[in-house]
Amino acid sequence: MKDIKIITEHWGKINPLKIEEYINFGGYGALEKFVLKMNPEKAIEEIQKSGLCGRGGAGFPTGDKLEMVAKNTSETKYFICNLEESEPGTYKDRLIVDNNPHILLEGIIISALSIGAKKAFIYINGNYEKQKEILEKALAQSREKKYWGENILGSAFRLEIEIYSGAGAYICGEETALINSVEGNRGEPKLRPPFPTEVGLFGSPTVVDNAETIANIPWIILNGGKKYSAIGSKNSPGTKIFLLNGAVEKPGTYEAPTGITVKKLIDEYAGGIKKGKEFWFAQIGGACGKLLLEKELKVKMEFGKECECPLGSGSILVVDKSVNIHDLLISWTDFFRRESCGKCVPCREGTFRLWEIAKRFRDGKISDRDKKAIEDILWTLDNTTFCPLGKFAGTAFRDAIAKNILTF
Amino acid sequence: MNIKINNKIYEAKENETVLDVCKREGIRIPTLCGFEGLPREGVCRLCLVEMGGRLMTSCTAKVSEGLEVITENEKIEKARRINLELLWADHAGKCATCKKNQMCELQNLALEYKIENFHFIPRKGEITGAEELDLIKDNWSRVVVENENPCISRNSELCIECRRCINVCPEKKFGFNYRGNSVVVGTPYEKVLDCSFCGKCAEACPTGALTDQNDYVKIVDDLDNLEKFSVAVLDLGIEEKILKVIGKISPEKDLNKLLINLGFEKIVKLGKENLKIEFVKNIKDEYSRTKKINQQDIVIFFISSRIYEKAKKDKNLDYVLSEREVARLVRDKEKIKEGKIKM
Repeated sequence: MKDIKIITEHWGKINPLKIEEYINFGGYGALEKFVLKMNPEKAIEEIQKSGLCGRGGAGFPTGDKLEMVAKNTSETKYFICNLEESEPGTYKDRLIVDNNPHILLEGIIISALSIGAKKAFIYINGNYEKQKEILEKALAQSREKKYWGENILGSAFRLEIEIYSGAGAYICGEETALINSVEGNRGEPKLRPPFPTEVGLFGSPTVVDNAETIANIPWIILNGGKKYSAIGSKNSPGTKIFLLNGAVEKPGTYEAPTGITVKKLIDEYAGGIKKGKEFWFAQIGGACGKLLLEKELKVKMEFGKECECPLGSGSILVVDKSVNIHDLLISWTDFFRRESCGKCVPCREGTFRLWEIAKRFRDGKISDRDKKAIEDILWTLDNTTFCPLGKFAGTAFRDAIAKNILTF
Repeated sequence: MNIKINNKIYEAKENETVLDVCKREGIRIPTLCGFEGLPREGVCRLCLVEMGGRLMTSCTAKVSEGLEVITENEKIEKARRINLELLWADHAGKCATCKKNQMCELQNLALEYKIENFHFIPRKGEITGAEELDLIKDNWSRVVVENENPCISRNSELCIECRRCINVCPEKKFGFNYRGNSVVVGTPYEKVLDCSFCGKCAEACPTGALTDQNDYVKIVDDLDNLEKFSVAVLDLGIEEKILKVIGKISPEKDLNKLLINLGFEKIVKLGKENLKIEFVKNIKDEYSRTKKINQQDIVIFFISSRIYEKAKKDKNLDYVLSEREVARLVRDKEKIKEGKIKM
């Protein structure tokens, strides 16, 4: 099972700036199959069969999302590729573009055509300047080959693709905030419902999919949904790019089937804990992720409501005992303080107060009053914020206290 | 359709929100970001109610058949209190000297929810040296205090980012600048406010962040000065507005009595036939002729919602007072009269 590669298959084997090399490896074969031998309904059926779910963190079934918009009779529809990854420790989408931008483009074209969209956007993080350039080149090459534009591969399909660069705000990874940003408004979440699949970009039904999710689509179209659903865990099949950082022997990105345990990822993929270091805990899924102690490392990495630990973006930060937890605490809280959009009260004020308290922790000036304050802020973040950012902003803090990693 | 609020059945119409029904039925739900006629944003997180075991903002929750809502329990109270306290912690409240004292919605809510502990704000000695400088830089560097435009006084220290002014402004002059805790409601590129000064933002602002620009000390001096003949010129329809604002601080219903108490010698009402400002201009001439008073000693106070008259700097209108400024004068007079403030 270790050898199954879907997204990283071509990494290192092809020059990402040359479309021909990807084509020689069978690239754009899925698009040809889609245009010549399939129809949108069949393609969505295959994706639904595959059980593919969103890789951005929420894990919503991709096929269902595509179907919702495909069934909508609205004239204009949009497809957006979410490449606004700014979770600390997460760089999977960047690496996909770096190593093989065409697999992403192929996925975007198939998904957009399957829902009947005539226009697709690639919403890219404002800091990914190099990646934007790569994508621009890849787009020019694929347009020349008639993979997108008017009459795709001689058929009646047509699609325009535009790259939209954000300004590097974490909140714009949230789909309604992303849509706000593309519309030219301030990047902050909108009220849901209505969901973007009903009222999305410029009021039209819109699908927003994570780049990694999209990169799975060509394989599913080529090999069939059934084959894909056999890989990995039952609830969220497929492979996932895991990013192992911190105190491991070989930090880096590894594609592995979902349902793998954290222990296996650390030991078999990343070469175990770094020599001379003592494992303390692992953080799963970026700054908003849960913390796992050594005895909990057997949890399976999967999406879905019943999962033991939300997989998030797939980043695993291994922290050893030489790390100063107070510095880490400041870094978490500072991140959310900066990235909160400022729309709702608990997130705007709460994340800021948490950051202040984190600094008092470091200075050893924590008081009983602060204990009550932490409790209150974490509670209100969990229960009353406008969007999920606030809800997740306190996860690591809460876990650190609950698991005795942080002591008063 | 029927919905259940606190185990009692109420009738609701299609597309109404839970807050609409509660307001109609007289069920108290605190709100800060909601204001008559404005889009419901759901940002203050105070109108929370419990639906299906989850806390939801009642201002954005649409009603549906058989919906069950609880508006008052321990969990809801806790959420409202914490969010109010968080707002207070960022509100540079010097209430006693605030223009909006006793007329401030945040202050009233704090009283209602008995907010007295401020356990979110660091105490003396808890932050020191460089850290303190950092905090000052972070917390206060983006405070905008602007008194350069003729009509609206802005102070973002008192702002609670409820977005009423952003939504109410017909010219879309306000917006959010920066993000996170540094968020400031202000004009693009923080320029001096330049608009038609309809005054809707000052009317909508729940706190003292947006208030009327005036020379308060001079106004009080002129009113108290026995040598000056103060004339209050009431704009059409302003009486109701004044009484509505004053209702919060004084039970007095007789406007004439209130104004004379303030020190006005004469009250003139603009009617439908003499609505024009030109009529006001004749007042000075008329009184100097009939009452044999020097023109300089006649002070005209034009009491109107049309605060843009301030910007015109008309020589015949010595002062333009909005209903909020009159309320402020009444508030301070009451305090002095009752001996709360010793002179």
